[in-house]
Formats: sequence, structure tokens, C-alpha cells
Amino acid sequence: MSNIAGKAYAMNVITPLRWYMAWLNKFFFRFVGWFPSYLNGLITLSLIHYARWVVIGRNQFPHVDPAQPKENLKYSYMLFASNFNGSWDQYVDSFTFAIPKGLDLFWTGNIRYPRSVPLTPFHEYIRYNQIETIHYYSAYPLATSNDIKSAKKVKAALIEFADGWADASPDQFQKQYHALLRNLQNDLGDMSPAPIISMAAAQVQKRHLRDLRKASERAAIDKILAVDESRAGSPAASKQKETADE
Amino acid sequence: MSNVSGKAYGLTVLCPIKPGHTGEIAYSDEVKCRLLEWNTRQNSPMTKVPQTYLCRYFVLDDVFTEALAGAEGRGTWLDVFACWFKPIYDLGLPREEHLKSRYLVFSSNFHGDLDAYLRGMWNAIGEEICRVWEYCYAFEQVCDADSFIAYMKKCQLDVSLFFVGSTDDPLEEQLKSLYLKQEFAHFVLEHQGMEPARLQAAFKEFIARVKPRDVKGPSWSPGQYKLGRQWEVA
Repeated sequence: MSNIAGKAYAMNVITPLRWYMAWLNKFFFRFVGWFPSYLNGLITLSLIHYARWVVIGRNQFPHVDPAQPKENLKYSYMLFASNFNGSWDQYVDSFTFAIPKGLDLFWTGNIRYPRSVPLTPFHEYIRYNQIETIHYYSAYPLATSNDIKSAKKVKAALIEFADGWADASPDQFQKQYHALLRNLQNDLGDMSPAPIISMAAAQVQKRHLRDLRKASERAAIDKILAVDESRAGSPAASKQKETADE
Repeated sequence: MSNVSGKAYGLTVLCPIKPGHTGEIAYSDEVKCRLLEWNTRQNSPMTKVPQTYLCRYFVLDDVFTEALAGAEGRGTWLDVFACWFKPIYDLGLPREEHLKSRYLVFSSNFHGDLDAYLRGMWNAIGEEICRVWEYCYAFEQVCDADSFIAYMKKCQLDVSLFFVGSTDDPLEEQLKSLYLKQEFAHFVLEHQGMEPARLQAAFKEFIARVKPRDVKGPSWSPGQYKLGRQWEVA
């Protein structure tokens, strides 16, 4: 299982909701889509790369083959999948503290949803309904969501500075260079691997070395066997064998 | 429905797995084994799939049943009435139910158009895809990029709300920006307090080396989990 890819954590939660409430939830999500300012709380959290809510109607589970039995469900289901930075507790708690009303709106009508406050029942609810990820991939395991946003800003500022001031007089250059750093002081920072990345990388390296060692051992054995076989098949070896048989 | 936010696409696919066994191992468990094997490699095969920001695979074995009674007093009208009337209380108790199939779930966040993404995925890791999806219903009909796209669309679920907390730029652009951010932070540290003329010369050398506008120039590679020149794309 692998819920973690570098600095990102994958959360999957599937919760039942009554079929008639599924329509209401879909409407809420569509409404929020029309007025994205309702998502400002999520943006403020700034630890999410991408997140999605998928309401699956009780008749909407994919049916692709006549041999596949059709689902016969009483409830609809809501699948929540999020990619975030930090630990499970940090994420769930910050959700609760930052957007409790938003959470309650998104999970409206979900069976036995305990509301986002108090924390302990909400933790239990999420844990009970969470599914482990088997394979999780991030294109930038070293970066957080904030790193990606700030990197975009750094790139734009760097290009603008290089175009405008690279060939200015040295004093003017230094003055503008300091202005650039002041402007980017919240966006610069080292993206060294977190301990969990280093540990995973060390394991990968260990496995790789083990595989290389095994391959070289196999090659050496194959070489010895090939030499033995060629000796056994040579005329001198055949003659020796015949003499021994006599 | 909103699978798209800006230029980012949220793909959610549920592919039903057949109920058989290979030896003593259920097909759904075999699918898990094959995906777990990806975790033991130097890097994920998904590094080869163009424009993938983040993606995940898991198997949905069954749905969960909430067995607790009456914990949602402010939930639906049914629960409110359930406080007073026993028959309604019984009616409001969560029912136990189970899926008839297990599902391979693939959820991806990527840049651009769905068809182009799936075509790129098939072209990059077609063999791996066939191995993972082998036991899914109707996957035997998939033989090329077009049939793969058609199959995935058949299994796709619409996203009700897709939230992008990062950027929706092309992946190469994101990786280049991250590379520049990291390199420039080091440049700043190494050149603190330098006199203006030398600083300017060093900066020009730095810009010539990192090529900020050239996304095909020096950059981070997809899935790169270590810092250092040997891990970067030249």
C-alpha cells in the first residue's frame, strides 16, 4: 500500500448517501462550481494539489459487459479523492478548523456523517470509510502545492529581471537584484527530500543494488556452466569420457 | 458535471474486475499484486505518461456499511422523525449492502485533453496497462489506443466538483519552474554579499546555464525524488 508519494498524501473516502440526497449533493457541487468564491476556504488552506468529489448514483456504477452482474444498490455513494501535503491528522484537522460549514455542506445527507465538529467522531468517520491506495504517483515528489505556485512566480520574475536588468550598470543591477529578492522572499526555499522520501529512496537503491548483485551472480554462474558444457562437448572431453568408459 | 478546471482534467475510472481466480488468487488480488510490484521499482511506470501531475490506483472491493444508529440528528428529515416513531427509526437504520463486482479505480489529475492523455498513456505504457487491466470485464476488446480510449470512457464517472489548489500549467512548465526555483534559491545563498560586477557576471552565467525560457533545457524529470544534476533532464 502506498498512500504517500513524496510530499503528497492520497486520501480516498467512499461514503453512502440516500439516492434522493445524491441529487441535492450534485446540485450543491454544481452551485459551488458556478460560484468558485465558495472554495476560498480551500484555497486558503493551500495544502491541496487537487481534490475531487464524485457522486455515484446507485445505478451509475459502470456496466461494460453483458456477463457482468448489474449492481442493485439502495444507496448512492460519494467518492472523495484528495492529494494534499502533510500528515493525515494535519489535513483532516485543518479541514475541520478552516471550513467546517463547507465540509458539512459537501457531506450533506451522507449516512451517519457526524458533522465536522467535534473532531473525534469526524476522524472515526473518515477512517472507517477510507480506502488504501495501492499505487500512488506524483510527478514532483519533492514539491508541495505551495512550491509549485511559488515556482511559477519565481520563473516569471526571473525572466522579467534577466530581460530588464542583466545588462544594466553593476550598481543598478545590484539595486534591482535586491528588489527582486525582496519581492520573492516568500517564494524561495530549498525543496530537499523529506525524511520519508529519503527512506523510500534508500530502499529503492538497496533493491536496485540487490538486483544488480543477483544479476552479476547469475551471469557468473551462467558463464561457469557454459564453460563446463563446452568442455563436456569438446573432442578431448569426449575422448577422455570414452577412455573412462573402457 | 465538471471534470475540467482550467486546463487541468480530473479523470475517474471504475473498471469492473471479473470474479475468477488465477490458481488460488482472486483476480482482484492479482490486480493488486501487479500494482504493488510497481511500488518496488526505481520509479513508477506513470513517469512515462505525458502530462500526469498526480495519479493513483486502488481496488474497490466493496462499499462500507454505516452501522451506527441515530448519529445524525441534524441530518435528513427521516432521522428527525426517527427520534419519535419506532417504525420510522427502524426504517432509518442504515442497510447493509454489497457490490456485485470489485472495481479497479484509476484516478488521475493531468494537463490537457482526455483523448490525447489516454492515447499518450497507451503509447507509453501499453504493455503495463494490459497487464494491470487483464482481468477487467470487456478489456479483451482493447487492442490499440482507440479501443483503450473507448473503454476508459465507458468506465469513466463524471466528477461532481474538481478543485485545483495548484496550477493547471503543462507538466513541463511546472517542472521547469520547480527546477528554476531550486536553482535560484541556491544561487542566492551562494552569492550573498558579492560585489556588484562579480554578482552580475555570475548571474549571467547562471541564466545561460539554467535557460529559464527553454522547457526542454535543464529541468526536473517527472517523478524525480532526489536533488542533483544526475537526476535532472539535460
